Amino acid sequence: MLFALTTASEASFGGDLLREGAFGTLALVAVGGGGATILGALAAWLVTLCQFPGRALFAWLLAIPLAAPSYVLSYCYSTLTWAGGPSPIEVSGFWGLAFIYAVGLYPYVYLSARAAFVSQSASALEAARTLGARPWSVFRRVALPLARPSIAAGAALAMMEIAADFGAADHFGQTTLSTAIFRAWYGHGAPALALQISAVLLAAAVAFLAIERWARGRASYSGGSTRSNSLPRYRLSWFVGFIAALFCAVLVLLGALLPLAWLVRLALLHPHLGDVVRPLLNSLLLAGGGSLITLVLAAAIAVAARRGRALGKAALYAAGMGYAAPGAVIALGAIAVFGVARAAGLVGGLAAPLAITALLWTYAARFAAAGVQPIDAGLARLSKGVDASARTLGAGPWRRVARVDLPIAAPSLAAAALIVFVEILKELPATLILRPFDFDTLAVNAYAYASDERVLQAAAPALLVFLVGLAPILVLTRGMVRTRAGFRADRNRL
Amino acid sequence: MSTIELRGVQRIYAGVAALDHVSLTAPEARVMALLGASGSGKSTLLRLVAGLEPVDSGEIRIGGELVSAPRHTLPAEDRRIGMVFQDYALFPHLTAGANVAFGLDKLPRAQREAEALAWLDRVGLKKRADAFPHELSGGEQQRVALARALAPKPRAVLLDEPFSGLDPVQRAELREASLATLMATRTTTLFVTHDAEEALLVADRMAILKAGRLLQEGAPREVYDNPASIETAAALGPVNVIEAHVDGGVVATPFGPIAATSLKPGAKVRGAVRAESLLLTPGARARVLEVRPHGPHDLVRIEAEGVIWRALVPARTPLGESVDVEIQPAGAFVFPA
Repeated sequence: MLFALTTASEASFGGDLLREGAFGTLALVAVGGGGATILGALAAWLVTLCQFPGRALFAWLLAIPLAAPSYVLSYCYSTLTWAGGPSPIEVSGFWGLAFIYAVGLYPYVYLSARAAFVSQSASALEAARTLGARPWSVFRRVALPLARPSIAAGAALAMMEIAADFGAADHFGQTTLSTAIFRAWYGHGAPALALQISAVLLAAAVAFLAIERWARGRASYSGGSTRSNSLPRYRLSWFVGFIAALFCAVLVLLGALLPLAWLVRLALLHPHLGDVVRPLLNSLLLAGGGSLITLVLAAAIAVAARRGRALGKAALYAAGMGYAAPGAVIALGAIAVFGVARAAGLVGGLAAPLAITALLWTYAARFAAAGVQPIDAGLARLSKGVDASARTLGAGPWRRVARVDLPIAAPSLAAAALIVFVEILKELPATLILRPFDFDTLAVNAYAYASDERVLQAAAPALLVFLVGLAPILVLTRGMVRTRAGFRADRNRL
Repeated sequence: MSTIELRGVQRIYAGVAALDHVSLTAPEARVMALLGASGSGKSTLLRLVAGLEPVDSGEIRIGGELVSAPRHTLPAEDRRIGMVFQDYALFPHLTAGANVAFGLDKLPRAQREAEALAWLDRVGLKKRADAFPHELSGGEQQRVALARALAPKPRAVLLDEPFSGLDPVQRAELREASLATLMATRTTTLFVTHDAEEALLVADRMAILKAGRLLQEGAPREVYDNPASIETAAALGPVNVIEAHVDGGVVATPFGPIAATSLKPGAKVRGAVRAESLLLTPGARARVLEVRPHGPHDLVRIEAEGVIWRALVPARTPLGESVDVEIQPAGAFVFPA
């Protein structure tokens, strides 16, 4: 059924659409993803291994663009720079979209690269110095290769986001696999074609995952060293330090502060506060319920996988696939699964309760991996000996989970909850496909206005998506910036 | 190879002096051991010499060149000082060969590889050149780290407890092999350890540190035979300590007198007697509480007048219930209290 198209003309149209979408996605992934990778890795290196004015502040601020979904940025930059906007440079078309991906998604690379740099053995970097390597050479020959798997993982995340993005690509009129799915589904009423394109997109996602695994090769990157002196930072000269601070400032400005300020201005110019109350409540409801379900699932997967159960490992892999898969693809899958209801005569979409269920299911399938990762990292702090000693003290598996695993993973659990909450809040394509009739979320609301060429009205819901997402990001990254070995030691001393 | 000189070097962390006015000289082409407990400042001293941290006062010279002074720190990468870290700090993403070649990057490629291989050969690891660090044993990693530090022909090499992660048998073997390499290359070596036996065994000179202060510096024999204080005496092996007054040129202990001719009569003093300087023969002076095997020696706890001392005697010395004690003057010291 997947590859059966009804007529020859439809097949030719489908082929064109698929080819055009694949090319668009590939080019955007290469340019936008490449840009995000370079910006993120460079920023991470500067704030962890160099010393310049404002470093500590930037370490924190640089993560902020994570709160702004690409479609929100695209609405900002279009009103800011297109005809009538205050900017002389027009951010539009392919390069404009690639620019938005680069400045909006670099935090994925930044955060994982930063974590890698922070955890690098100080003595390996010092050893390089005693062997005569200068700062840039230490970065290029030791710090960067050691951080490569983390940078690759962050880059893979950013690229998956680009491949999955629907809102921004749609707004900028670019044909990608994601927008092609919608065109096939809504524009041409060709569900088979939409599924076909989805399959291609899914294959691309799997390829990203595989590349990331393969990149590790035979060399080990963790190093044998756990001894963590405080990281030696290079004090940059006055001029270079100024350039470094400027670079970080421009990144934060382009990825978050400028769009944020512009959205605030637009929202104040065109107050539609009454209109956004219901979407806001709907968004909070979905994000709250969705993250609860997702978290339970994620915790179960993390604990099972760590215990080495085959089922847990399989679930872990499945969760990874879900995260790699674009929302639109999973939503179509959900429709297939819940399609029984359609067969039962509910034409034109799913009835409200069923649709909500399908949405929550989609969120859980899509974002479980985002929750598993921090929980697993929390559990990783637990040495094997702790579980073993709980066993020798007579604790059964449930008691060990309840009394040892979960309390230790509790801070990570909170972090995971925040991440999943924000992800669901920002989610557009799956919500767009599966939502019940007349059930608007902030994201859907913003999209509906923007695609109606009423971008000014889109400002208020877009701003709210940004702001609601911002608070958890700030809390979260503040915590991350502080969880350095040195800081923990200070805390323990108190 | 060059001498390393420290003059009045001070390093302060959060108001506490990790190193407090330390002056010492590591002679050219010799091995100097820095002995001290953890927190004595010995690793800090290495980091200052390597240029990984600045000095707060005083100065460090290498081969006469001023490398560290307040507000002047020649960066580590410009010092040409090799360092072997306690955890070896091998680059996990590079093979053993590439690790050794790391510091040779100014040479053309072919020469660089040949040189790296020659150094690996020197430490007996030529066959393992293509192995990654995690594929090497602890001892092999240590040898790669030493080869890596020596390959760029540094002016001196610093070793930070390089054998501490190894089992005792490996430790002795590697120590000998490393020392042979260092001697053969006539390398000025500063070597940090908390193991007194190791320091006595390998060093041409030794310096004893405690709480950031240099207690004593000299040849091992000299330090062992003429400790400057109770602390340095105790740093090199088990000692029995007693507080007493000088009376008639001697300090009386329950186990016999210690000569104290250089001190004023009536002065309050502390005496220290090395456990191996107590000669025990069957007799009646002290009660034998316990005899325990201790390698080639027996560790004997003896008691007299309520005071308990430890003595090291040749293993299986027949002693009986009580013994006579002779304090050998070479291992008995008196210091003003």
